[in-house]
Amino acid sequence: MQRKVSLFVPCFVDQLLPQVAVDTVRVLRRIGYEVEFPEDQTCCGQPAFNTGYWDEARPCAERFVKVFKHADVVVCPSGSCVTMVRTFYPDLLAKSSLREDALAVASRTFEFSEFLVKVAAVTQVGATFPHAVTYHASCHGLRELHLRNEPLQLLRQVKGLKLIEMTRSEECCGFGGTFAAKFADISAAMGTSKAENIAATEAEYVTAIDPSCLLHLQGILGKRNAAARTIYLASILAQEDPPQKSPPQERP
Amino acid sequence: MPQTEKAQTENSSRDQILQWIRAGLRAAVKVEEPAAVSDRLIFEPVNNPIERFQQECVANLMECARTADSAASARQLAEALQPLPEGEIFVQDDPSLRQLVELAELGRTIRWSTQGAPAEASQATVTLAEALIAQTGSILVTASCGGRGASVIAPCHIVYAKIAQLVPDLTTALSRASQGQTFDHDSFACVISGSSRTADIEKILVQGAHGPRRLVVILQTGT
Amino acid sequence: MSTAAQRFLQDAAVKSADLMHREIIQRGMDSYDAAHLKGRARIKDWEAARQKCQEIKREAINHLDRYLLQFEEKVVARGGHVFWAANSEEACAYIKNLATRRNVRTVVKSKSMVTEEIHLGPALEKAGIKVWETDFGEFIVQLREEGPYHIVTPAMHLLRGQIATLFQEKLGQKIESDDPAYLMAVARRVLRQAFFSAEMGISGANFLVADAGVIAISTNEGNGRLCTSIPRIHVVVTGIEKVIPRLDDLAVLWPVLATSGTGQGITTYGTLIGGPRRPGEADGPEEFHVVLVDNGRSQLLADAEQREVLHCIRCGACLNICPVFRHVGGHTYGTTYPGPIGSVLTPHLNGIMEFKHLSYASSLCGACSSVCPVKIDLHHHLLQNRRNATEAGATKSSERLMFRAWRHAMLHPRIYALGGWLMRNSLRMVYGLGLVGSILDPMRVWNRYRAPVPLPSESFRARWRKDRAAN
Repeated sequence: MQRKVSLFVPCFVDQLLPQVAVDTVRVLRRIGYEVEFPEDQTCCGQPAFNTGYWDEARPCAERFVKVFKHADVVVCPSGSCVTMVRTFYPDLLAKSSLREDALAVASRTFEFSEFLVKVAAVTQVGATFPHAVTYHASCHGLRELHLRNEPLQLLRQVKGLKLIEMTRSEECCGFGGTFAAKFADISAAMGTSKAENIAATEAEYVTAIDPSCLLHLQGILGKRNAAARTIYLASILAQEDPPQKSPPQERP
Repeated sequence: MPQTEKAQTENSSRDQILQWIRAGLRAAVKVEEPAAVSDRLIFEPVNNPIERFQQECVANLMECARTADSAASARQLAEALQPLPEGEIFVQDDPSLRQLVELAELGRTIRWSTQGAPAEASQATVTLAEALIAQTGSILVTASCGGRGASVIAPCHIVYAKIAQLVPDLTTALSRASQGQTFDHDSFACVISGSSRTADIEKILVQGAHGPRRLVVILQTGT
Repeated sequence: MSTAAQRFLQDAAVKSADLMHREIIQRGMDSYDAAHLKGRARIKDWEAARQKCQEIKREAINHLDRYLLQFEEKVVARGGHVFWAANSEEACAYIKNLATRRNVRTVVKSKSMVTEEIHLGPALEKAGIKVWETDFGEFIVQLREEGPYHIVTPAMHLLRGQIATLFQEKLGQKIESDDPAYLMAVARRVLRQAFFSAEMGISGANFLVADAGVIAISTNEGNGRLCTSIPRIHVVVTGIEKVIPRLDDLAVLWPVLATSGTGQGITTYGTLIGGPRRPGEADGPEEFHVVLVDNGRSQLLADAEQREVLHCIRCGACLNICPVFRHVGGHTYGTTYPGPIGSVLTPHLNGIMEFKHLSYASSLCGACSSVCPVKIDLHHHLLQNRRNATEAGATKSSERLMFRAWRHAMLHPRIYALGGWLMRNSLRMVYGLGLVGSILDPMRVWNRYRAPVPLPSESFRARWRKDRAAN
């Protein structure tokens, strides 16, 4: 019997970065998992929650719990969305009738790299990516989910990949959701500092476990006509030898 | 009228603030109570206090001179004071320091602590200490060590200490101060771990700010 | 939007673009980072140290009345005075009246953020009393007529050349060099006259030790020592939350404060004062006054979620690691306390309506919480402040409406999918017409600093459905 996971796709990935989810599915299938995508899903509620609108976030969270209630395992290509479910749903839904269900779903929800390394117990996924890559340690994955080594373990197993450490890899890229719009100047300044650290590595690609960071960095790097391009972790792991297609072009 | 009552009547907000505090504390707080953490887990135990103290002195930009007896200590004192410009030296009035100063034959004006506070233009102060602390390379002084200014007014502060005064760590020094009820008889104490300093300009370390530039410990191992 | 919020946005815009400022701060923070790592290495188990400090402060705050009363009793028994001030005005009035009654003409002050909070300097100056800031960094910013840039290193935004020029202008003497040691020597000479002529010394306190009945001050320069030794009156200004239960607690709090604050193993001076000079002591102030300032702190006690914010030992570590602080600097916040702790605390002390924007001026990266030596969950408190702001009706009605619409879409997958489709295609049109960055561009804030977001031809769910239908 094939093992099955339910895919939780962040709303902005669904609408703006579908390749992130496509590559996540590809890798999960390659390591022997059947992937189902509950088409009813919309959003985990993070945007409203982070802006302080907990009353608006709550029904979204409850809906999410109902959509994924029967999933054995939920996998999501985003550290911040998984953080919402695991770290914040308990507080947000403390008084909800769905509180117990929420805790149960939370205990079965994993970020993509976390799932590979800690649940599937796999670091070698048969990937080839002969490029210089630097890693940005997205904040939620790092500080809320405590994922420091898992993404690096996966990257080190990729054939041909040269991993270069950047200065201050753990410093925030500056996205922060609505922060990027409300405090655009600060957000951009933080992004620029990160872009400078990326440039100093001379890596061709920067990767992370949070596509929202990569969306923001892609914008910053693009504006600077920087050499480095962003690529989501699963998109690297999805690359095989011989390459199925040329490395993703992340610019419109 | 007892002091505390007097304080109460002159300070109308006191009761109000206490009321607010007590009301605030009644709010239920979600607290997980993890096991209390033992101090021994936090710092590496100090097994070699003398070496550790000397290492820390170097790191703290202090001078530490080990001497075998009073005669050697007296010579160290003279040596430490020799390069200083003309001027008064302030010394804590204690029999061991009286003896030391006599042995050293300094040929300088001495102001003893029993005569009052150190003068602004003092070139150096000489005091005893309550204890030495190996963990941090510190000296613990109190008001009984010649007063408050004695360890800070002059550009050079010299401490005359015996090896028996060396304790391994801050915990020991502080618990002894508690048990000895230091503050029942001293209005002031200070744990001093180096020469005064600042890094307020571009985070560049400057040794010697408002307090002494030189802190010298004469550590006598014998009698 | 409050005027404080408007000013913040303006200042943030200016500072974010100031590359010189960024370089100076980066250099300062690099220096701190290196020292901090060395300091951490001296502690065998840093996590155990943090936990111990959290426990000490928790015990102190959860029994605040008991420990404050214990402290007061001991100080008063030794002839000291303890004054409980409900707010800034009461604290300033007490000190000003004391100074006036005792014919104080000159005050020397060592560093105290609480005295900034209550605006003590201006209150005394108005009464005709000259106040000298004696901490080197505070002395510098006082000459510049600005507030401290950072709670531990007040002048870290300045280069030596600027300080040399400042001294030349304001001190009326020829400044021969911009060497830091030379400049310190100049300040030493100037301030020494103040130390030896002032009638009153004012200090803060890092800790109020309940069982010993003493204040504890951690310093490096010696100015705090002189302020509390020479003038005949010593006044301590402190928040009520600074209390700790036992003298022994300093064995871990002192090294942790020093490590987090500057990277040192311990600060040069750990001063402990329990009262005025005793008979037989060679020197020391004749009077000792401790002003306990509430100013909103007792209210924070009642906040079950955020009471732990009172555990703060004002080490500055959260400021140092915060990427927002590193890009806009301390003055941009426009508050007594900048950085993450300032953003969490200020709405409680100064009102949520005016200062809620600080809680939003964060990407919630959590670096602050990860370094806080007393384990305050700072970034989660920022989230709670945001929730408190919306519940208090302090946010824009347009934003409230927007999230209500957002909620509706998220509860109805077809509306969500349609909304997404509309967004992508309207952006495609905007790009196609070359209107990127114009008033018609809904992403113009994004596009000011970034290349436009990619526009895939279809969403993931559309593609999934197509792939499924094909199989």
